[in-house]
Amino acid sequence: MKFSIVIYAAPYSFEAASSALRFARSVIDQGHELYRLFFFGDGVHNASQLTVVAQDENNLQQQWNDLIEEHSIDSVICVSSALRRGVLNQTEADRHDLGTASAYISSEVAGLGQLVDAAIHSDRLVNFG
Amino acid sequence: MSCLHTISKSPDTQLLESCLKIIADGDAILFTEDGTYYTNSARKLEAIDKTCKIYGLREDMLARAILTKAADSVELIDTARFVKLCCDHDKIVSWF
Amino acid sequence: MTENSKSQKSRITFISRAAPYGQNKANLCLDMALASAVFEQDVNYIFFGDGVYQILKGQDGSAIESKTLGNALETLELYGIEKTYADRQSLEERDISESELLSGMQIVNGESIAQMIESSDTVFNL
Repeated sequence: MKFSIVIYAAPYSFEAASSALRFARSVIDQGHELYRLFFFGDGVHNASQLTVVAQDENNLQQQWNDLIEEHSIDSVICVSSALRRGVLNQTEADRHDLGTASAYISSEVAGLGQLVDAAIHSDRLVNFG
Repeated sequence: MSCLHTISKSPDTQLLESCLKIIADGDAILFTEDGTYYTNSARKLEAIDKTCKIYGLREDMLARAILTKAADSVELIDTARFVKLCCDHDKIVSWF
Repeated sequence: MTENSKSQKSRITFISRAAPYGQNKANLCLDMALASAVFEQDVNYIFFGDGVYQILKGQDGSAIESKTLGNALETLELYGIEKTYADRQSLEERDISESELLSGMQIVNGESIAQMIESSDTVFNL
């Protein structure tokens, strides 16, 4: 079955970000297709790579990145949410003359059309907020 | 054609009460995260129609020390089963 | 967005349950619905719970240096969202009368909302 997952919650602030990660892993483990991850609103912080966490704590952003890379998942961070929150890829950083990219390159920065596309093409869309 | 409702915030938010206003017979409810605090009281769950299955996410309840307190009407499931439930129902409505 | 998806029509129901201004959920919900309408999906937009505060007439976001959400909601029809509903019980519980609402809202009960959910392919609820 084709799943898409929408994440609205910032990591560390709400359990929803780690619930979504556990759910995504389970979707893949069970052999389903993960059609798309869509990070929206505060959820875009899950794609930030400029983070440091305590040694005994999970680095959620890195875990998302590992999962996305390992399974070549189509992962999108909403461009309007991301720009406001300083989660930029190199293209956006250059375009706005901001120098440093802060987003993992494993996620694409794109518009809400990608969410609509996921709603249309997935058998199941699950929201975590 | 049924729907899985997931409720992930504490009973203080009254999300179950909102959900029950627009739930259909034969739908199911899964309590996750802080929503699992709904599961330890049969009283809080009594407004749920008998045709609705009630589930609680085991990992979240274990973390919160409420696993053993679940009401009899609540079936405890893990995340893998959560994914399966999503397949069994044709859509998921998340309450957060 | 692929060519393929543009030709497909999905029924997407949005249940907007948050009051405006205090948090951004109302705006996120609106942005998703507008995008769905741009891609010509069949959209239901329901104001439920505290979400009915979004459709009170006479909002002025400028008082708190914010965009006025009510103004954006008044133009939903222009953007292809014609099916806008407010939950009757949510209005009653908050002592809001129909005359206080933006125009174009159809007042519905919980049962009708349950039916809309049932007939939808996808539901966003925030």
